[in-house]
Amino acid sequence: MMTKNLIPIIAAILLLMLLLPDISGAQLPRERVTPDRPVEYTFWASKNIGISTVHQLPARNLNTTVLHTFGLVHGGEHYRGIDRFFGLDDGANTRIGLEYGITDRLSAGIGRMTFNNIVDVSGKYHVMRQTRTDSRPLDLAVKMSIGINTMPGLGLDFDERLSYFVSLMIARKFDHFSLQLTPMVTHFNHTVGDNEDQLFGLGILAKRELSDRFALSAEYLPVIGDRNTGTNDAMAVALNIDTGGHVFQVFLTSSQWHNEQFIMANNRDRFWRGDFRFGFNIHRSFRL
Amino acid sequence: MISVIILIVLIQSWPAVVSAETDNPEDVVYYTESGHAEFTSRVPLHTFTGESRNLVGMIDLQKNVIDFYLDLSTLETGISRRDRDMFRTLDVDEFPFAEFSGTLDSGFDYQSPEKQSVVTRGEFKIHGVTQDVSIEGTLQMQGENLYLEAEWTLMLEDYDIEPPGILFYRVNDEQELRIEVTLSPHSRDILSTGN
Repeated sequence: MMTKNLIPIIAAILLLMLLLPDISGAQLPRERVTPDRPVEYTFWASKNIGISTVHQLPARNLNTTVLHTFGLVHGGEHYRGIDRFFGLDDGANTRIGLEYGITDRLSAGIGRMTFNNIVDVSGKYHVMRQTRTDSRPLDLAVKMSIGINTMPGLGLDFDERLSYFVSLMIARKFDHFSLQLTPMVTHFNHTVGDNEDQLFGLGILAKRELSDRFALSAEYLPVIGDRNTGTNDAMAVALNIDTGGHVFQVFLTSSQWHNEQFIMANNRDRFWRGDFRFGFNIHRSFRL
Repeated sequence: MISVIILIVLIQSWPAVVSAETDNPEDVVYYTESGHAEFTSRVPLHTFTGESRNLVGMIDLQKNVIDFYLDLSTLETGISRRDRDMFRTLDVDEFPFAEFSGTLDSGFDYQSPEKQSVVTRGEFKIHGVTQDVSIEGTLQMQGENLYLEAEWTLMLEDYDIEPPGILFYRVNDEQELRIEVTLSPHSRDILSTGN
């Protein structure tokens, strides 16, 4: 009796199976194209403040940067801060730079700063990228740069105007905190007085994201070993603002120089003694 | 009554029997891993496009099944910083795929080389939210391949996606989506292996 009652139900189910589209097991298995993606935005721009970062420029992207540093906020030895409008009246050392992503790992750049009319040509290669699964725990990148002093009237041959710079950038992002260590070496073909022709340094960079749009960052650049007389280790702190198209960095820094080799060779000011100046960087990327 | 059940089972298995003996496009599924997908977004005074060449999809004409998905992390707008914002907006780590599964709601003559207008109905899922959608497009046999084009509009709020932006400078809620895909014939094993 029971079996007899079930037969129409079974028939109805089978009929439904016949009439409805068969989509059972018809869905493709979902697979990520790159399951282990690299960690993005360890730093938000190619400069943390004055020191280069592992920030990678994708292929065919052009990054423009404008860096400014002004005079000392406290006005220096002979003025009060307000007399020089907290350094803004002292003129800026401005560096305008372009960097182009040749591949997703290799980029080349050129820049020019006001002080000594220095033109720099650089290349950066990303050896390794930190991945989300920690299969690669660090970002590693190498930067090489040549600085050319183009100031007229110095009586220098071309090769005497050159300086060389090499750094290894080792970085890791921990959730919202990023840390980078940058051992570096620079060589100047021509020095004045008893200045060193070779300098070693260790850049220490940190960034703490406050939100998607804001981050605090800091950097410290001690010179290791022999150093130029009267120079001091440089330090800077910054507020980073990411608008989606631009990254603005508003900062206080001890050094008015840009680029690591010139910061190491020339910074005479001490951040902790109040010798800091206002500055800001603007970064903008375009796809070509 | 048992004979009725046997008859129904036989009828149910009929398409498979027929397809095994004939040589027509319904015997196979059409598949791609390199379809083109793009979206167009508007912000005040500016329009930008994001695109990917990693759209994966399958059309089974015999069983009338359409299934597509896109790994959203493959979308590129041309500016890496904007890509990062887009991935955050879409919560790509938590919801890595945009997916459509449905059926062809209109007839398609695979023996005709003409481009034919079709309507698909099904479920579109993104950002963890699924909505019933009806999408118009065109299908065309190109030799042994099947060519598909479709366009539709997606409203971000329908999928609980907060348009990114700062203050009044925000991405428009309305997103125009377009796909363009050439699918080649494959064995049905593709449904279990995916490649």
